[in-house]
Amino acid sequence: MAERLPQPLAHLLAILQDPQRVEGVALPDWEPVIRLARAARVHATLGHRLSANPHFWARVPEQPRGHLQAAMNFAAWRRHLLDTELRALDSQLPADVEVVLIKGAAYHAQRLPLADGRLVADIDLLVRRADLDVAEAALIEAGWCSTVTDPYDQRYYREWSHEIPPMQAEGHALELDLHHGIAPVTSRCQPDPVVLWAGRRRLPDSRYFVLDPVDQLIHAVVHLFQDTELDGRLRDLLDIDAMLRALPDDGGEHDALAARVGMFGAGDLFWHALGACQRWLGTPVPAVLWPSPPSHMHVALMAWMLPRTLLPRLPEEPAGLRGSLAAKAAHLRYHRMRMPMGLLLRHSLAKGWRRLRLRRVR
Amino acid sequence: MDYGACVVRVRSAVGQFSGPFASVYRHFSLGDAFPFVDFHVDIEPGAGFRRWVRPQSRFLIDCVQPFDPFAASHALPHYEWGLNWSFAQRFNQYVLLHAGVLAVGDRGLILPAIPGSGKSTLTAALMLAGFRLLSDEFGVLRPRQGDFLAMLKPVALKNASIEVIRRFSPSAEIGPTFSATRKGDVAHLAPDVTSVAAVHQPARPAVIVFPAWREGAALELQPQAPEQAFTRLAFNSFNYGLLGRIGFDAVADLAAACPAYQLTYSRLDEAVRALRSLVTVSSEGGANG
Repeated sequence: MAERLPQPLAHLLAILQDPQRVEGVALPDWEPVIRLARAARVHATLGHRLSANPHFWARVPEQPRGHLQAAMNFAAWRRHLLDTELRALDSQLPADVEVVLIKGAAYHAQRLPLADGRLVADIDLLVRRADLDVAEAALIEAGWCSTVTDPYDQRYYREWSHEIPPMQAEGHALELDLHHGIAPVTSRCQPDPVVLWAGRRRLPDSRYFVLDPVDQLIHAVVHLFQDTELDGRLRDLLDIDAMLRALPDDGGEHDALAARVGMFGAGDLFWHALGACQRWLGTPVPAVLWPSPPSHMHVALMAWMLPRTLLPRLPEEPAGLRGSLAAKAAHLRYHRMRMPMGLLLRHSLAKGWRRLRLRRVR
Repeated sequence: MDYGACVVRVRSAVGQFSGPFASVYRHFSLGDAFPFVDFHVDIEPGAGFRRWVRPQSRFLIDCVQPFDPFAASHALPHYEWGLNWSFAQRFNQYVLLHAGVLAVGDRGLILPAIPGSGKSTLTAALMLAGFRLLSDEFGVLRPRQGDFLAMLKPVALKNASIEVIRRFSPSAEIGPTFSATRKGDVAHLAPDVTSVAAVHQPARPAVIVFPAWREGAALELQPQAPEQAFTRLAFNSFNYGLLGRIGFDAVADLAAACPAYQLTYSRLDEAVRALRSLVTVSSEGGANG
């Protein structure tokens, strides 16, 4: 699809896809490219893709190369921290609870190439619903405590979310997210826990598991569209792109993925994710993977919203009326995806009322 | 602004910023002809009524305000402090030592020190005595090359040091004094013409000196074993732990290549004399490098 993207963004996407494209980028062009990459938190990934080939790496002028090297060093340190935490958590979590690493921790532990340069923000663990309380109690015993103290928010997480509120431990750089599912309770995408857990694989020489690769992919898609507010989520798109490209092309995995997408009700989300990957990252998508397209209105809405929210922009660049409208729409949509309409109304009322009360107290 | 290790674009709408800024950066050339800018900083006045009532200065990097505003009258120390913070956060391609760095020719003198050991005062005196200043706060060590880049900022003098440096050299170009900042009174010594002109000349480390000012102490230079120097360098680094192996190798190479001393002193002129002969002597010995 030919579309007009701002030039720095076009450069960034081009180099991410094909490091050879670095040839056409002059020093003054690099400044906005680095800033965009930083805004999207993909600068360390960009560095890894370029430095993998000494020829392309040498084409990057010294100043931007410094920024990329700094980002790679920082990302390596975060992975080191993650390793340390996973070792400590090994003994803190009850031995008879099966723990699945998801998202960044899973990519890191499987040594997937996409983990190179991916900035680890937190540790995401998945346990069975039945093990949630005992796992949480063990973590609290080990010094982890909830970052959310507000009873209303606590209740929201526990009733309507697929994870408990993020936890922190004093002196630890990473937050911990304990999940009991990979999609919000209210999402249309409802992975069958039995199927999901049956696909788990134990990591070699480890207590930890990871999901079946196709489930990891579905989770990344659900995460992109339902766990975040879409703002600057190019990084998540890169995860999906890398996993799609890594599927063996003998067809078996593709069929398995397509079947699983259908079974879990993730068709619409997947369709949008495939479209975005293909459009901005040039991801080759085998025909068998395409689900049937969502409704026209849905497609039109996302086509308008995605480029305005998902792709990074420069800090000084005003979002513009259309951009901020799209952000508002994306925000609404995010909540709509996570809650049924009745609950959303109740939630908005509760939040609005609390904001008013707080203002009066001040 | 070209600091050597990085280029910063700073914009300010705070009236009390530009005067002091121009004073302490008097030898720098201002321009917007840089092909690549590393940091985009804005010093903005407070929002809403804070523009008029007890006006504030807000430090923004990439349009994000990472910490609380200062009073507008302290806009310059706020900028200096914010830039240090940004540099330490982002420039992990280098080993960042908490050290003053000066040079005679390209022979570098590295002064790593914990805060409060009189590093800035000594650094300022050395520059005023003819050493080329590369940095007061950050020793910017390039891990692969093993040399130091300049991160040439005005030297932040605190409390009694301001008077000490005025007395040390009446020609010292010191900006306005900001009283009652988080670090007490602060005034900035402007880097001299020579140092500014050579901002893109890295220095090869020649001598490492850990300075400690002690009231009334006789001057003493005590050699430090490389393993001792290694530990003290690593300890005085902003990002040694973060860099893992890169930091270990770079600091180990530095400690192995340079003679190191502990300097105890009370009189600045004596200390300057001793350090000058140390840098020159080690040059004649031609050792290590």
